[in-house]
Formats: sequence, C-alpha cells, structure tokens
Amino acid sequence: MKKNRKTFGTLFAASALLLTTLAGCSGGKSVEDVASPGSNSSSGGKGDKVTITYYTIDSEDRTFVEKLIPDFEKEHPNIKVKMEKAPYEQFDSKLQTLIAGNKSPDITSHYGYGGFAEYYNKGMLMDLTDLMQETGFKAEDYNIPEHLMDIYKVKDHTYGIPLNMYVTLMMYNKDMFDAAKLSYPPSDYEDKSWTFDKMVEDAKKMTVHSDDITKTQYGVDFTWSERDMRPLYFGADPYSADTWTNGGVPSETHFDSPEVIAAYHKFFDLIFKDKVSPNTEWSKSVAGQNGDPFVAGKIGMSVGGSWIMAGSNDFPFKVGVAAVPWGGNDKVRSPLFVDPLLILKDSKHPKEAMEFIKFLLTTEVQEKSIELSGGNPPVNTKAAETYYKHFEGVDPEDVKKVYEGAVKYGYESFNHLIVHYSQINDMFINELQPVETGHKTLEEVMGTIQKKVTEIIKR
Amino acid sequence: MSSIPSLSTRPPSSRPRRKVGPVKIISLLTLIVTTFLMLLPLFFMVMTSLKSKKEMLKFPPTFLPESWQWSNYTEIFDTLQFGTLYKNSLIIAVLSVIGTLISSALVAYGFARYKGKGNKIWFMLLLSTMMLPYPAIMIPQFILFSKMNWIDTFLPLIVPAFFGSAYNIFLLRQFFTTLPEEMFDAGRIDGCGELRMWRQIALPLSGPALATVAIFAFIYSWNDLLTPVLYLSSSDKFTLPVGMASLTSSRFRIPPWHLLMVASVLAMLPIVTLFAVAQKQFVEGIVLTGIK
Amino acid sequence: MYLFISPWIIGFLIFALYPILSSFYYSFTEYDIIHPPKFVGLANYTEMFHNDLFWKSVVVTVRYTFIGVPISMLLSLGFALLLNQTIPLKGFFRTAMYFPSMVSGVAMSLLWYWIFNPQIGLFNYILSWFGIQGPSWLMNPDTALYALIIMSFWGAGAGMILFLAGLQGVPSSLVEAAELDGAGRLRIFWHITLPMISPVLLFQLIMGLIDSFQVFTQAFVMTQGGPNYSTWFYVYNLYTSAFKEYRAGYSSALAWVLLIVVMLCTALIMKLSNRFVHYEGGVNK
Repeated sequence: MKKNRKTFGTLFAASALLLTTLAGCSGGKSVEDVASPGSNSSSGGKGDKVTITYYTIDSEDRTFVEKLIPDFEKEHPNIKVKMEKAPYEQFDSKLQTLIAGNKSPDITSHYGYGGFAEYYNKGMLMDLTDLMQETGFKAEDYNIPEHLMDIYKVKDHTYGIPLNMYVTLMMYNKDMFDAAKLSYPPSDYEDKSWTFDKMVEDAKKMTVHSDDITKTQYGVDFTWSERDMRPLYFGADPYSADTWTNGGVPSETHFDSPEVIAAYHKFFDLIFKDKVSPNTEWSKSVAGQNGDPFVAGKIGMSVGGSWIMAGSNDFPFKVGVAAVPWGGNDKVRSPLFVDPLLILKDSKHPKEAMEFIKFLLTTEVQEKSIELSGGNPPVNTKAAETYYKHFEGVDPEDVKKVYEGAVKYGYESFNHLIVHYSQINDMFINELQPVETGHKTLEEVMGTIQKKVTEIIKR
Repeated sequence: MSSIPSLSTRPPSSRPRRKVGPVKIISLLTLIVTTFLMLLPLFFMVMTSLKSKKEMLKFPPTFLPESWQWSNYTEIFDTLQFGTLYKNSLIIAVLSVIGTLISSALVAYGFARYKGKGNKIWFMLLLSTMMLPYPAIMIPQFILFSKMNWIDTFLPLIVPAFFGSAYNIFLLRQFFTTLPEEMFDAGRIDGCGELRMWRQIALPLSGPALATVAIFAFIYSWNDLLTPVLYLSSSDKFTLPVGMASLTSSRFRIPPWHLLMVASVLAMLPIVTLFAVAQKQFVEGIVLTGIK
Repeated sequence: MYLFISPWIIGFLIFALYPILSSFYYSFTEYDIIHPPKFVGLANYTEMFHNDLFWKSVVVTVRYTFIGVPISMLLSLGFALLLNQTIPLKGFFRTAMYFPSMVSGVAMSLLWYWIFNPQIGLFNYILSWFGIQGPSWLMNPDTALYALIIMSFWGAGAGMILFLAGLQGVPSSLVEAAELDGAGRLRIFWHITLPMISPVLLFQLIMGLIDSFQVFTQAFVMTQGGPNYSTWFYVYNLYTSAFKEYRAGYSSALAWVLLIVVMLCTALIMKLSNRFVHYEGGVNK
C-alpha cells in the first residue's frame, strides 16, 4: 500500500505538471502564432503558399464552392483554399469554438442562426473598407447594385460583401387556381389591382374546410418574413429608424403601439376571421417539422423567400410566381435576404481572402454557381439573367419581373440587421404561440413582447 | 484454481420446465404487443427508404411505397461518399470499444475491490465528470485538443476512450461488486496477484456486463455527431452521422428524407449484427466462462 | 488500487479536469468567446435567480425527470423479467426491444414527428380505438413535455439490457432453494432477485437522474424549447445562453449549478442506498 501511494504521488505530480503547462499557455498566443511569423510576410503575394479557410454549411447548396476552388487556385498559385463545414444546427457553435480555439476561419457568412448585426456587434468582423481600396474592389465591376452594398455598411465602413440575394415572392399552385376557375395573379409589382384584399378574395375561393384533414386546403399561407417584421407590410414600423445607422441596435421599439397591434390583427384575421390560412398546428401536421404545406399541394398561394422555388421541379403540381400584393406600404413589399461574404477579424490573410471573394463574384463564377448550387440567386445582375431561366415550368419573364419588382420595393430582412435577433425570434415564436391557438389575445401578449424585446436588445 | 467453489450459475432456462401457465401466456402476449410497437420505427424507416422523392411530398403519406425504389440504395453512394464515411466510423468505433473495454474494466475493478479512504472521493469525482453537460466543456476541450495539435485527426474521438469512460466504469464497478467474495479468497489462497484475479476471475464472470459495455460504447461512438463535427474538418475524415446531417442541413430546400432513411437503415446494420452476437452473452455468458 | 485506477487518473486529469476547471473559472467571468474573459465575481450566479427562463427550465427539467425516470426504470425491469424466462424467440424479442435505442438522430426525430402527428399520427390513431380524441402532442404546450417523456420510454431497451445482465448474476441455486421452501414468485422476486440486482438498480437510478437532468437533443432538434417554452430544458437554456447569446460565462455558471445539484442528489441516493443495496464482494482497507 505504501509503495502504491508513492507511485501514485509521482503520477499525480507528473499529471499536475502537465496540466499546469497546458493551462499556462491558454492565456497567451497559440503555438502557431508564435511559430509561423513567416506566413504573414507572404501576404505580399510572392513566396510561400498561403492557406485560407472558407467556412460554410455542410449542404450541397453551399459546399459546391469546393468544385470552384481548383479554378481559383490555378489563377492564384500562391493561395490555397480549404473548406471547413458544419451542419446547420452546429454552424454557430462550431464557429465560436473555432474562434475561441484560435483556429478562426478567414471567410464565412451568417449562415447560422446569428445574423450580421450579431457578428458585427461582437467585433467578429474585419472592416473591409481599406482592404477593398487596396485590392481594387469596385462593386460595379461585379454588377452589384450600390444599394445592396449599403446593407452591410455601418457608419460608412463596409463589413460584408453581398454574394446571394433571395427576395420575398409569391408562389402559386396553378392546379388549384384552375380548379377554382381563377385567373393567375400578376407578376408585375406595378399592377394596382393586385392588393392584399384581392388576395384574400381569391384565397376564399380556393379554401376547403373539412373534417377530413386530407381534404382540407387553404387559399394562402402568408409567411412574409419573420414574425416581428410583419407589421411593416401594412406600414407600421416596430423598430425605430436609427436601427440601421446604429449597428442594429434600435433605440426604441413599438410592439405595443396601436398601429403594430392592428397590423398583427390583420395577419391573424387570415386564420381566425377569413379562415383562408392554416394555423401552425395544421401546417406541421401536413408538412412535418420544417416542411412547407405548399409543397404537399394543399395551399393555393404561398408568400415566402425565393428559396421556396428550389425543388419546384419535383412538386406534384404546376407552379407559377407572382408579385407580393400591395398591403398599404408604398415603399416596402418584399423583404430581401442578402447573404454577404464576411472576413473574420482574426484572419491572418485578409488580402488573399479578398481575392477569393472577388473570384466568387465574377459573372462567370456566379453563373456557374447557379447550376452547381441548384439555384442560388446571384447578386451579380448580369448573372441574374441565367438565374431567371433556371426553373423548369416557370416562365423566366415572370421570375425576372418578380425579382426586379422585389428589389425595387425591397427591404433587407431584420433577421440580418438587428442585434440578438435569434433570441428575439425565439421569443416571438414562443410568446405568440398562445395567440395562434386562440388561448390569448394579441392585446394580452404584445405588452410582454415589447418588454422582452427591450430587455434582449439592451443586453 | 479448482478450489473455487463452483456456483450453480446455470441460466434460468435450464431450470426444470414448468407447465405453460397463464403467467407465461400473458407475458408472451405483452411481449408481442411491445415488440410490435418497438419494431414500428424499423418498418417505417425501411418503407420510407424505398419511396421516390416525389412520393415523399405526398399528403397523406403513403403506407407502402407506390413504386419500390431499390435504386435509392445505390444512389446513396453517389450522394455521399458513403463508403468512406462508413469506413471512418468503423475505425473510430472499433478502436473506441477496445479502449473503453480495457480501461474501464481495469479501473472499475480498482473501484469495486478496494474501498480505501480516497476511493469515495475519486468515485464522486468520476461521477462528477458526467454531470457537466457537454456544451459547457466544448470550448475548453477544443482548446486543449488544439494545443495538442489533434484537430482534424481521429485522436480526439479515440484516445479519451483509452482512459476509461465514466459511465462504463460505474457500470462495471456495479457488476464487479456483485461477484462473490469467496472466489477471490480462493484465488488469493492459490497465490494469484490482483492483476491475475482481474483477468482470470473478474473478467470471465462478467461476460454479460462486458458485452453490454461493448454495445453501449459502440453505439455511443457510432452515433456521435457533436464531437466529429467539432474536431474533423477534411471531408475524407468525416463519419456517418456527419454525412447524414449534411443531407438535412439546407434551410432552403426539402431534405431528401428517403436517402436519409437509406443511410439510417444501412448505418444500423453493424449495430444489429453486434447486438445479435452479443445478446447470446446474456443467455450463456456465465455458463461458458471457463472456471477450471 | 491505484494501479487499477491510474489509467483513468491520467485521463481524468488531462481530458476531464482541464475543461472542468476552465468552465469553473469561466463561470465567474463575462466571456463572449470573442474577447478574453473578464472577472465579474458572483454576478452570473446571482443573475440566474432573477431570470425567468432559468426558472422555467428548472421546472420543465424537474418535471421530466421525476415522471420519466421512475417509469422508464419500471418498464426496463419489467421487460427484463419477461425476457429472463424460458420463452420462444427470446433472442428476437431482445433485439426488437433494444432496437429503438440503435436508431440515431434525425431519423428518430422524423419518425417521432410522424407518430405524434395529431391528425394522421399513429399515437392518436391507436387512442381512437378506445374512443379517445388525442391531443396535438408536440404542438400543444400542455402536452409537448409528456410527448417527450413518452418518447423516452422507447429507450427502455437499454435499461432492459442492463437488468438482463444483472439477472444473469442471480444464482439459480438460491432461487431453486427458495422454490423448494415453497416461496411464491413475488416473494422470490422481492427477497432474492431484487436484492441481488440492487447494484444495477442503483446504477440505473443515478444514471437516469444524471441523463435526464441533461436532456437536450430532443428539445434542440424537435421542439426548439417550445411551444411556449414548454420544453425549455435546463441544458437547452444553457446551450442557448452560450451559443445564441454569446454568454459562455453565464452558461458555465448554469453548468456548475447543475453539477452541484446533481451531485447532492447523487450523494443522497448513495447514502440511502447503503441500506438497500446488496454488495457481495469488496474488502475494506
């Protein structure tokens, strides 16, 4: 026993020593930082090969970039691009862990649940303004409209460069329209007859209520952006105007104002009064957890992000695209979801990263990406022409009109631009739930929501 | 070793047959009903795996496939690098099982046989390692492994298993404590050292428990998603769960559920095989062990 | 003894102790992962007591544990006893019972979504045979937690295996002797079988407690803590604080409160168990 104890003692001491050395270096720079001073000097362009990391979601519509890397490396023999990926659910946690472990990737986008504002406010992003100048990046060279570049500017500094642009549009089930003998909705945003009320009218004619869930169908599913943004559709603004100049931190919110509550009433009327829209429970019963009941052919019109067009070739019915109807807001009708490329602050090779970003934005690569990704909408307006033709069975002219109208009446989605957005969204989903099931009234919950939004933003 | 009293540890099945009474009929019926419920997932998985992509979108969902798409089972090899994923998962799981078995059995024996002063404290420490949820230690653990330069290798997924897993140590300790003391006394009289008693008495008598640990360790490693996602970055090192997660990762399109089910069915094969082999241990474990 | 536990001690010190101590340190800091941690004393600990979501998560988790763990254990033990008799197709039944524990991740959640579907799901279909109109389960705040508890019963196969392994250690000589004495099934179970497998029982109880206090995946994958926070589990709350709110410090404090509470529960169970649990071997040195 005595002997055992002694060996144990040395063992313990050795382990403890090991432990302290491990703990000891956690504070300072990592081994690599110290060991590779040479890699910094190589950013001049000559000499050693530089490796940059591109971090993205592990799904086909994102990882296709891997197929483009060989072309880039041929053009830039001194730069090697490595792709790091994670499933959607783990995207944010892995990114944060990588940063904490001193393995920060160079380029990424806000593909997880946190948006641009979140990343910006945490100081995760590199200011690209000077870098763009140094590397001679001009938006017009890549046919990126200037107002899209403005989305990711804070106080005249650019922190992100747009890559893809999803818009909000309407998709409709032609078979259901035909069955109800209705004419198809227009794709022209200037068509003044296409209003919210007209949409409800059409929807009523397509709605069927039945005890048999397999026979029930609804006229419209109006998932216009996230819940907190919806009042904007009717012209009520829940966030104060300084939000966008203040790095995504609104000084005031108005969720309990009569205008905002009135706007929400109009949305819930679709479910409770006009009965032309399904509630969440029905949608989930028909389409599963993350599914869309439109895909099952049970919805006449569906308003949502243009990603709902992906896979439309497989739908067991004919589809068309139309404009989002006018609802009382003359300026804003279509939330835009512009995904930017971001360079992280800890990047050791920002110049090389910038080269890769430029490569991904060229008309040629943007066009190629549409096919490879299976229909990611390019931000490059020249490449967009190819995108309009991508969807079988949908008139390219309609897609084009809808996209142009959506951009004209577009507004970048709040989920990218407001700080702590994923928390705000979680809170909205949970707090509005009793309203959706009819257990509480809007008047009862909006006060709480206003209070909680304020708390979350202040954090 | 002949002096060890031979315990009559025959399995209950070799007990004299009793008449088929009402108790047995009721138990059989209960078993059939529960088995039916338990097998439903398998049925659902296999049926879904044979449906076409279009059929997946149908509401109400079809019960049996309208047309049986056996080609789904070859398509998965084109969609994912299924062979590579499978191989990686196997390497990691097998090595983890070996590591877990050796180290956990050794440590558990120590905990079970000696109840010294430090024992209780160490044992509580052991349990405490399971009480901190993984998200809480994810970051410091990553920092640790990255300092050891283990990122993008299998090491973080395998090496810790060789230092024992708290759950399995605890499990085996519980089993070792049920072993009759007389056997060890007899061993001691025969002049066996502790290590030898461990190998020749404790291990052979713990067949069912060791089989359980092997299965648990295999499934744990085989289905683990979080650790490989965190530590592996090259896609040729990815494991099955990582590949399967990539099928459902797009927020923008309908996931290919049918292919996911194909992958799930194929992923279950090694576990089912292992289990079918190991479950014999629960029947025959003790009889077969040679106490000679 | 240390010879035997030394591999674990080395591993423990390297792989477990470092992360554990780090998280202990973080729990006293404000740490957003991007910037270095800043010491804030007990602020994280005092904050949680004023945090609604913290209390919500405690209630949800405690309810899940206290309902789920005992029933799960009873089911596992029941299955094990059933399958420890001479019954045809025993191997098949055993494999079938354990089957649901082999299926992983997304496939499982897809399946359960289908089973709990209020309109076309299997569960409500079976209830309708008895004239019961089933609730909307996962989509209703009053039933979502119970749906997850029911779901956990499908994992009873793992517990069953442990009990089976334990039952193999019950010497049939004892059972036979008791039978000769004319003892009934119940008496044999109560006085022989149960004491003999009590170490396994204790193991299951403690592990059940530790595991169910840490339930996370179901909430993360299937319900996202909802509807209306009804499945906002403790560890879901902890995960959200760390990776959605960027508050690793606060999240570590949550982890440590959990650790201490579970530790106290475990110690209590161990203390009480000394009276009931039957150990054969073990020398007191």
